[in-house]
Amino acid sequence: MLTLHTTDGGSWFKPGELIDGRASWHFDEEVDAVEVRLFWYTTGKGTQDVEIVRALRTDSPDTSGHRDFSIRVPEGPYSFSGKLITLAWAIELVALPSGETERLDLRIGPQPVEVDIT
Amino acid sequence: MNSVAVARHRPADNPFASHRVEGLAFRFNGPGLSGLRQRLEEMGGRSAIVGPKGSGKTTLLEELATTLPGEPVKVRIEGGCRHPWRTVRAQLPSRVTSNHVMLVDGAEQLGPIGWRLLLRATRHARSFVATLHRPGRLPTLIECRPHHALLCDLVEELTPVDAPALIPGLEELFQRHDGDIRLCLRELYDMYAGRA
Repeated sequence: MLTLHTTDGGSWFKPGELIDGRASWHFDEEVDAVEVRLFWYTTGKGTQDVEIVRALRTDSPDTSGHRDFSIRVPEGPYSFSGKLITLAWAIELVALPSGETERLDLRIGPQPVEVDIT
Repeated sequence: MNSVAVARHRPADNPFASHRVEGLAFRFNGPGLSGLRQRLEEMGGRSAIVGPKGSGKTTLLEELATTLPGEPVKVRIEGGCRHPWRTVRAQLPSRVTSNHVMLVDGAEQLGPIGWRLLLRATRHARSFVATLHRPGRLPTLIECRPHHALLCDLVEELTPVDAPALIPGLEELFQRHDGDIRLCLRELYDMYAGRA
């Protein structure tokens, strides 16, 4: 079981801010590693782009444990939606090699709402 | 095809958005991933996933990559690439070793010389799987054959509520796109986005 949350429960972050949070896990069997990843991706029509901005890896973790993280938000890109694509941010906790994932959707930008460019 | 009244969505909320389509699992009609992996070993670790455009070859290659032992090296050659060998070379490690698992998507883009150069550069790789439109260059690991029922199945997974209304029009859509399921799903995206 994987859980992921930010310290204050928030999901909107301005560029340059720190995202503080905790990733917790409980596995029935040992895993190779767990990773906390901050990334953005595009979705909509056509091919998807993904960029992992920061990954924090914990090798050979205990079957139950947690990791506190603090990741600085880059200057961009902002979260936005247009006619063809949405650019979305998320932070995820991934177990390796199984790929089991827990995800927290984020909004990155100067305002708490996604930039609308339609 | 049948028209369905739909509300305007953000691209991310469209049921046919790329992140949802790319999240679809390959539909096996026969042995699953473990069977395929065993077959690859029996074939000496070198073989091809064969099928026309939009038939799920890339999806299967990605899924197979997660089950093969060794360090994966993913090489992608887009359709219409002007310099496919240069594109490949830029994605290869400086030295391909016996720990590498080569996964070449779009290998039909390479000409005969580029293909030979690729085989030579990767001859020490632990295994080598390429996607091809036609059989011949490597023994065929599996042939992906898109069919109308597969499109219906995928649409049902993506739009469980709207699928009954969509399905009557899917056969025509499938024919119009010559069985390219990716293009069918993109047209359905447009329909949902209110642009079609």
